[in-house]
Amino acid sequence: MDAGRHPLIDVVTNAQVVACSGEPGAFRVRVRKRPRYVREDRCVACGLCVEACPQVGGNEFDMGIKARKAIYRPFPQSVPATYVVDPDACLNFLNFLTPKQRDRLERIRAIKARKDPAYRTDFLVCGHCVSACEVQAIDFDMQPEETDLEVGAILVATGFQEFDARSLRTYGYGRLPNVVTSLELERMLNASGVTQGHVVRPSDLRTPRRILFVQCVGARGEGGRPYCSRFCCMNAVKDSLLIRQHDPAVEEVTILYTDMRAFGKGFDDFVERARSEESAIFLRGRPATIRHDPTDDTLEVFVEDTLAHEPRRIRVDLVVLSVAAAPNEGAVELARMLGIETDAYGFIARRDPAVSAVETCREGIFVAGSAVGPQVIPDSVAQASAAAARAARFLSAERVTLDPEPPPPLDLSGPPRIGVLVCHCGINIAGLLDVSNLVDHAAAQPGVVAAVDDAFACSSTGQETLARLVAEHRLNRVVVAACTPRTHEPIFRETLARLGFNPYLLEMVNIRDQCSWVHAHHPTEAQEKARALLRMGIARAGHLEPLEEGRAPVTRSALVIGGGIAGIQAATDLAEQGFPVTLVERSSELGGRLAAPRLWHLYPTDRPAVEVLARKVERLRASGARILTDTEVTGIVGCVGSFQATLQGAVTEILPVGAIILAFGADLADPAGAYGHGRLSNVITSEDLERAFFEGGPRVEGKPLRSAAFVLCVGSRDPEGFSGCSRYCCPTAVKQALALARQGVDCTVFYRDMRTVSSGAEEMYREARGAGVLFVRVPSGSHAQVLGETRAERVRCRDELLDRVIEVPADLVVLSVGMRARQPETARFHDILKITVGLDGFFLERHPELAPVETAVEGVFLAGTVQGPKDIVDSVAQASAAAAKASVLLAHDQVRLDPAVSVVDPDRCRGCGQCVEICQFHAPALKEIEPGTWVAEVNPSLCKGCGTCASWCPSGAITARHFTNRQVEAMVDALFAEASP
Amino acid sequence: MSAPEGWNPRIVVFACNWCSYAGADTAGVSRIQHQPHFRMIRVMCSGRIQPGFVLRAFEKGADGVLVSGCHIGDCHYLFGNERAVEQFEKTRAVTRILGLEDERLRLEWISAAEGARFAQVIDQFTERVRALGPSPLAREAR
Ligand code: FES
Repeated sequence: MDAGRHPLIDVVTNAQVVACSGEPGAFRVRVRKRPRYVREDRCVACGLCVEACPQVGGNEFDMGIKARKAIYRPFPQSVPATYVVDPDACLNFLNFLTPKQRDRLERIRAIKARKDPAYRTDFLVCGHCVSACEVQAIDFDMQPEETDLEVGAILVATGFQEFDARSLRTYGYGRLPNVVTSLELERMLNASGVTQGHVVRPSDLRTPRRILFVQCVGARGEGGRPYCSRFCCMNAVKDSLLIRQHDPAVEEVTILYTDMRAFGKGFDDFVERARSEESAIFLRGRPATIRHDPTDDTLEVFVEDTLAHEPRRIRVDLVVLSVAAAPNEGAVELARMLGIETDAYGFIARRDPAVSAVETCREGIFVAGSAVGPQVIPDSVAQASAAAARAARFLSAERVTLDPEPPPPLDLSGPPRIGVLVCHCGINIAGLLDVSNLVDHAAAQPGVVAAVDDAFACSSTGQETLARLVAEHRLNRVVVAACTPRTHEPIFRETLARLGFNPYLLEMVNIRDQCSWVHAHHPTEAQEKARALLRMGIARAGHLEPLEEGRAPVTRSALVIGGGIAGIQAATDLAEQGFPVTLVERSSELGGRLAAPRLWHLYPTDRPAVEVLARKVERLRASGARILTDTEVTGIVGCVGSFQATLQGAVTEILPVGAIILAFGADLADPAGAYGHGRLSNVITSEDLERAFFEGGPRVEGKPLRSAAFVLCVGSRDPEGFSGCSRYCCPTAVKQALALARQGVDCTVFYRDMRTVSSGAEEMYREARGAGVLFVRVPSGSHAQVLGETRAERVRCRDELLDRVIEVPADLVVLSVGMRARQPETARFHDILKITVGLDGFFLERHPELAPVETAVEGVFLAGTVQGPKDIVDSVAQASAAAAKASVLLAHDQVRLDPAVSVVDPDRCRGCGQCVEICQFHAPALKEIEPGTWVAEVNPSLCKGCGTCASWCPSGAITARHFTNRQVEAMVDALFAEASP
Repeated sequence: MSAPEGWNPRIVVFACNWCSYAGADTAGVSRIQHQPHFRMIRVMCSGRIQPGFVLRAFEKGADGVLVSGCHIGDCHYLFGNERAVEQFEKTRAVTRILGLEDERLRLEWISAAEGARFAQVIDQFTERVRALGPSPLAREAR
C-alpha cells in the first residue's frame, strides 16, 4: 500500500520483462503490459462492475470455494486498487468457447457484415460492466503495451511458486477434495479471504473436527528437492494456534514433521506455546498413504511414528500439505534475459552468498527474497532493503529533495468558517444515503458557511470543487464526508496544501466504508448514522488547529559501532553511496569472529574465512570509510539526525552523526561446566575446534583423532537460560563433522532437531550422512552423557529414532555453543540510547516483519547478531538492510517532523515523570527549568503521536495535538446533540 | 428494566487508527453487514482513550461504549494498548460507582484484517446493550 502511494515508485502490474540490454548503471528493460481492460486512472474501485458482471470465472486464489466474477479485484488490499478483466472468463472475449464454436460465430458475423454494411463486428457480447461503470473506466479496446524503461540497477524479487503436490500421488492432492495445501489454508484463515477466517472442508464446507498438517511436502528429499523450505514449520504452528483460537469446533490439530525448524528469533518460544497450550500434537513421521473413507467421509492416514516407533492410523477430516517452495516457472527465462544465472533447482543464483546475500552474477542486478530459495519474511524484508542499498550505488547521484516551493499560506484566522463537501461516490454512498439531506443537515450546523455535494469528491473535478469552495467562501476549515481517512486523507490534504490551506484543518467523515457499505439493510438508521457522523466531524473541525510541519537538520554521516562482518558490510554500503562513515572497533583488528584464528572455513562453500574477510576489508578500505580501531564509543547524546558520539581510545573526539548502526555482535555461551567442560581435557567448544583447524587439525595427546562426538544446543533452546535457537550451530557442526570425517575420523552428532536451513546446508547434511557421520537424535528433555574420569572416553545417549541407547567412543567432544547478547555492551547501549532489549537479551527490532533493522529509537539501526543469533550470510544481509535504512535518513539534509505530537504545558506540569516512564520512544524528558523545579518536555523528533501520555498525565498538562480533549469531547457532544433538519 | 418497543441503543466506539478503525474499514470493503446503532470516534492509539472520554459519552446519553485497539503485542506504538487496559480499568471503577452495569462498557482487540470480527463484536455488543435497555444515566441526560 505504501509502495503504491510513494511518489518515486511506479508500480507496473500485469506486466512482464521481455528483453534487457545495456550495462550496469544504464540498463534498458523492455516491459510488456497485458491489458487489464480497466483504466487505472479512472477507476474509483467502487465495485459496481463486479455486481453487474453475470459471468462467474474460476478463482486460482480461492480453490474454487468462492466463485469469482470475470471482472474482479484480486484481493481487497491490491495495488493498484483497480479491477481487472479475466479474458478467459469474460463473455466479451469468447475465449471460453471451443475453437469450433468460435469459428462458427465468426463466420456468422462475417456473413452478416457482408450482407449489411452497417453491421458491426466489434460489438460486445455482454458489456454489463461497461454500462454499470459510472466513470467510464472499462475499456475493451486496451491493447498490450510495450515500454522501454531506462534504469540504473535491477532488483529481482520474483518469489517462489508452490510446489505442485499433485505430482506426489501418495498424498492424494487434486484427487481427494479434503486434502488442501498450506497456501489454500492460508486463504481460508485470512479474515478477508474466501471463508472470512474459518477453516472448512472443501467437500461440504463444514468445519473439520480434526486437522492434520503434513510437513516437508516436496522438500528435504521429496519430489527431487533436497532443500528445506524454511517457513513451513513455523507456518504450520502458527496456523494451528490460529485455528484453535478461532474455531472451537476444531478439536484436534496434528502436525507430522521431521525436524521442528524453529530457527528464527522467538520461534522456539512460539512452538513451546503451541505445545504447552496443546493447540497442536506434534508427531514425527511422514505419511505412507492417505485414503478416503467413504463411510464417514473422513481421511485415513497411515504413518509411522518415528519417535514412539509404532505404526499409527490417524483419522482426520482435513489434511493440509505444507508444500515446499519451488522456483518460479519463469525464473530461468527471466535469468536468461537478464544475463544472470540460476542454480541447480532453478532459483536465481547469487555470486557468493557469504560475501553478499543479494548480488547476482551480474553487476548491477540484485536479488531479494525467495527468488534465491525459500526465505522467512523477516529475512526477505532484510534482503530487500539490502538489495536496495547495494542498488543505490548504480543510480544517479541526484537525490530527491523534500518538496518544491510551497504556495504562500492562506489567511485562515478568525472564527471557524467551515465548508462541507459530501461525496456520492457514484451510487456507493448515494445509492443508500440521501445526500441532499446530508448537505442540508451540514449547512444547518454552527460554523458551516457552505455545504455542497459532488459525484466523486476524489476525482479531479471533485478536487476543483473543493478548491473553488475554499476560495469563494474564504473557508478556514474543511469537512469531506466520503470514504475512510486511512486511504483518502492524504489525497485531500495534498489538494489543500497546494492551495496554501493548512492540511491539518481538514476533517474526513467516513460515510462509505463504515456506513453505506455495511448498513445496506438499515437505510433509515444508516441515514441517521451518517447525519450523526457528519455532525461529529463538523464539531471536531471547529476545534482543529493549524499545525506546521517541523524540520530538524540531519548531519549526513553515520557511525557504525563494531568492526565485525556486519559492521564492515554496513560501513562499506554507506561509504560506497557517498556518505561519510566512521567505523569504530574496540579491538585492534577488524573482522570479529571471522578474524584468524577464530573461524576456519565457511559453510557451505568451504572457503577460508580469512579469505572472505580479506576481500571484505579491502572493499571497506577502498570505500573511503574512516576506520578507527582501538577506539570505543563511551557516550551518545542527541536524537535522530543529530547525534553526538563521544569516542575514546586511539582517537578521542566528539563525533556528530545523523544515524547510528549498532553492529558489535554477540558472545558465545559459556558451557559452564556442562558435559564435563573444564574438567575433562578433551571436551572443547566448537570455537576451540575452529582454532585447532588452524594448527593442522585437532589432535589428542599429539596423535591424530580416531573419533569425535558433537553435542548440539549447548546454551541454546534451554528453558532455564536462552530459550531460542542460535541458528548457526547445526550447519557449523555438520561442516566440522564432515571435515573430520573426510580425514577418516568417526564422527557422531547428537542433535535435537537438525536445523540445516540456510542455503546449501541441507545438501551438506546429506553429504555428511553419506560420508558416514552418525546422527543421533536426543529425546527432548534429556541430554547426551559424556563418560570418563579425567578425559572424555565415550558419549552415550538414547537415540529417539532408533529407540536404542547409542554409545560411541570419543577422542574429542565438541560442544556447539549458542549465542548470547554481548555484555556489557548490550546493557550499556541500552542505557545510553534507550533501545529496548527483548526477553532473550538481544536488542528488540521495531517490528519483526515490517521493520527488522529499525529500533524504537529513530535513527538507530541494528546489524548482525546484536539483534539475535544469525550466521554470516544472514548477518551480511541484515547489515546491508541497516545501511539501506540509514541511507534513507541521510539522503536529506532535514527530516520532516510530524506536528501531530504531544506538547506539555509547563505551567501545569508537576514534574512527576510518569510520561517519561510510559513512553516507549523516550520522547518526554524531565528538565530543570529553575533550581528545584522540574517539568517534562516532549522532543518532537522522538514523539510518534500516539497520545498515550496525554491521557496518562495526572495533571492534564499534556495535549495530544490533532486529537485534543476538546476535539474528542466535541465529537461526543455532537453525537448526542439532537438533530435539526 | 425492559426496553421500549422499537428502541435502539446508542453506542459509542472508540477505536485506534491502525487496527480497530482499519478493521471496520475492512468490514466495509468486504461489505460485511452489521448493526448501525454505533458511532465511531477515531484516535491514533487505544492508549489515548482516557476515562474522561468514555464517561462523557455515558453522561451525554450513551447506552454502551466499546473501547478497541490492536491485539496485545501488535500496537503500532508498541505498548499503548497495555496502557489502554489500565485506563479501561480506571474507567470501569467509575462506571461501577455510577451504577452502570459492567456489560455496558467493553474492551476488544480487533486487527485491521478482522473485518468479520469487527462486525460480529458490534452485533453482539449491540444485542447485549439492547437487552439491558436504556442506560440509567442516559435517561437523565435526555
Ligand atoms: S495503535 Fe492500535 S492500540 Fe495502539
